[in-house]
Amino acid sequence: MRAVNYNPKLRLQVMVILVLLSIIFNIFGGYFTRFFIAEITILSIFAISLDFIASRGGMVSLGHAMFLGIGAYATAVLSTNYGIPPFYSMFFSIIIGLFIALIIGYFIVLLDGIFFIMVTLALGEMFHAWVFTSELLGGSDGITGILRPDLSSFYIDLNQPLIFSFYTIFWLVIVYLLISKVTDAPLGRNLDAIRQNSDRASAIGAYKKTYKAIAFSISAGIASLAGSLYVQLNGFISPELTHWTVSGEGLIMIIVGGIGSISGAILGASVVHIIQHELSNIINWWMLVIGFGFILVVLFMQDGLWGLIERIKKKCSS
Amino acid sequence: MLLIQFLNALQFSMTLFLLAVGLTIIFGLMKIVNLAHGSLYMIGAYIGLSIWSYFDSFWLALIFSPLITALIGAFLYNILFKHIQNADPMKQVLLTFGLIYIGLDSVRLIWGTMSHSISAPELLSKSIILINDPYPSYRLFVIFVGIFVLFCLYFILEKTVIGAKVRASVDDPEAARLLKINTDKILFYTFSLGCGLAGLAGITVAPILGVEPGMDMEVLVLTLIVVVVGGPGSLKGAIVGALLIGFVDSFGKVYIPQLAQIIIYAVMALTLLFRPDGLFKR
Amino acid sequence: MILKLSNINKSFGSTIVLEDINITSEKKECLAIIGPNGAGKSTLFKVISGIIKQDNGYVEFNSKSVNALNVEERARLGISQSFQKNSLFLEMTVKESLMIACSHKYKVSFNFIKPLYKNNFISEDAIKIAKDIGLQNYLDIKSEFLSYGLQRQLELGIAIACNPRLLLLDEPTAGMSPAETKDIINLIKKLSKEYSIIIVEHDMEVIYNLADKIYVLDRGKLIFEGSPNAVKNSELVQKVYLGI
Repeated sequence: MRAVNYNPKLRLQVMVILVLLSIIFNIFGGYFTRFFIAEITILSIFAISLDFIASRGGMVSLGHAMFLGIGAYATAVLSTNYGIPPFYSMFFSIIIGLFIALIIGYFIVLLDGIFFIMVTLALGEMFHAWVFTSELLGGSDGITGILRPDLSSFYIDLNQPLIFSFYTIFWLVIVYLLISKVTDAPLGRNLDAIRQNSDRASAIGAYKKTYKAIAFSISAGIASLAGSLYVQLNGFISPELTHWTVSGEGLIMIIVGGIGSISGAILGASVVHIIQHELSNIINWWMLVIGFGFILVVLFMQDGLWGLIERIKKKCSS
Repeated sequence: MLLIQFLNALQFSMTLFLLAVGLTIIFGLMKIVNLAHGSLYMIGAYIGLSIWSYFDSFWLALIFSPLITALIGAFLYNILFKHIQNADPMKQVLLTFGLIYIGLDSVRLIWGTMSHSISAPELLSKSIILINDPYPSYRLFVIFVGIFVLFCLYFILEKTVIGAKVRASVDDPEAARLLKINTDKILFYTFSLGCGLAGLAGITVAPILGVEPGMDMEVLVLTLIVVVVGGPGSLKGAIVGALLIGFVDSFGKVYIPQLAQIIIYAVMALTLLFRPDGLFKR
Repeated sequence: MILKLSNINKSFGSTIVLEDINITSEKKECLAIIGPNGAGKSTLFKVISGIIKQDNGYVEFNSKSVNALNVEERARLGISQSFQKNSLFLEMTVKESLMIACSHKYKVSFNFIKPLYKNNFISEDAIKIAKDIGLQNYLDIKSEFLSYGLQRQLELGIAIACNPRLLLLDEPTAGMSPAETKDIINLIKKLSKEYSIIIVEHDMEVIYNLADKIYVLDRGKLIFEGSPNAVKNSELVQKVYLGI
């Protein structure tokens, strides 16, 4: 799909507003709000990882939940079975995600649109199937009793909801900075060029496969971070997290936000998650509504909420 | 024992074939991957359930549930699929993704979350003795239905004018339009037919596996794999892919239960790596 | 010698498209390949740039065989091409398109920290190229909003921005008005002082004033080679073109 206009300045402005808002809500909200914010932040990190490769790289991954799962399971297994402190487990899990994605990416990144979607879907489901049968990963029960990182040497207590939310927001900011750097850098701009015109990109000597594989790997690393944070937030992990519909919902989030806007992905994740949550509280046929919502969003929201922001800004300045 | 496993695998392959053939023709003609194909299969089974319990006749269900599913397909084609033919793959995939949610919740609202079962008709409720072991005759009937559909489709595609038009539209839509072939009409009918076959798969499988929400997801990914392995858009690919995946899955589950699932995905991954167009290129 | 084609053959199925083609091109030379429609010009062009692989024969660039290299790798060696049909980065501005092409020249394309737009030397270079191709007033316009003629100019500009040692131009004036054609011809004339150029062209008038040497291609065979004047006076060429 077409990405939104490339606009680093607006991207930063929206990001600053979103972070400020989340900080305010976090400080003044109660236990539940804080938990909710952490949840949305983690989803946002996942959405950004999808947005980065889908928008600039033209790689629509329906198997990214696999990397969410790799991050989560690696953190869980390393910290519960092998006694590695959770904080280090998180870094290891990111590295594992990066590395696996680099290998997979080397084989699949040059596949065309629909084939890339199908292969990632199949690979994701393969992982999903494996998780169910693996004793190490707890099969269909998953793994429970995972502790949050102990950062008491920095005088940080992650078991307090307020602090943990700030901790996830901190990671979101890091991810945002990283992805916006990569997007603006020659690597990211070349990726964008490949998406827009693959033949021309070859003709100017772009290292297509390498750029794309690097981007895929970075994205997977970020998805792994999101998975690791998810497990730190909830203290448990079950195979549902790796189902392909999780990736599908992630993609819907970035469409709602506006593909390729990065900070729009955060907006999209927040809106979709809040609507899902509120709807499921009111009615029990919320999935029907969500389904229709998805279709309408895909059909009619070309630039997502990002388009709306752009228009408002234009009006204000004129 | 081996014979029974062989027949079970064959029966499963035929169900996969009924599902995959619709999906593959739709992909060949419209370049759309319909993720909601599994939902139509589920809806077919549920409609069959209703007809069966109301009229107490499996045969009525067998005839009318595919027809009604085809009508649903026709409706979907007109309001949705017709308009997204040339859209970006991401758009198409996510639209059909939305349909999955709608399908799942509709089924839950209308028929509830319980799982149901349909009993096979009187005529086919007994077991047949094959060599030494008894084998449910209903499963043989499902195999027969699959083979029957395969021959019908083969005959239509290869021996009739309509079939020639369909093949022309798959091979080269531009040229087909120049030849004054009404591709829109062909798309409409083949899409509906594909959905009807998904419904047929649903109702034929109901007496074996039961009817429950979530049955759509179980077959969707397998069907997609059949299509990709066989080669999107190819009838031959659909049957060979269905047999391959069906047998690998059935025998794998018996002999190497832990790895069965993974082997299937590995088959797909290998096909895509070495024959990205599938085993049978159009 | 910058480019040498020896005994190139290519057929699609049973149709022979190129038959025993031998071409050599010197440094700083502007060489033209002309021929009527269906002569195999585009196929030959694609064989040189690496989009199509010949059935047999050799493509040598700077006295090294590039047979085994694909488009990307040949581009990195300095074989830069402009396409017959505009092939641009439509969602990017003129300046960005040129900067991206330049990023390979300066070997910064793997950098993923420093924003592209903050690379001043690349930006200056891009502006200079934009001036050369007459797009200095359109720097911040998205490519998709340029007129056809300006898009054609940008097409050339991207090819130049790759720092080519050999510039391949496929019908650079295709679809342009006479006035626009004149501009492009002047532009190519200017470029021919700096670069080795190979032009594939259908329209003979375009290259008479440009080319140092002309090859005439007809039905997959080279039927004539010589200076523009020799081609002009050749009866054989006239016959092919007028179809007598």
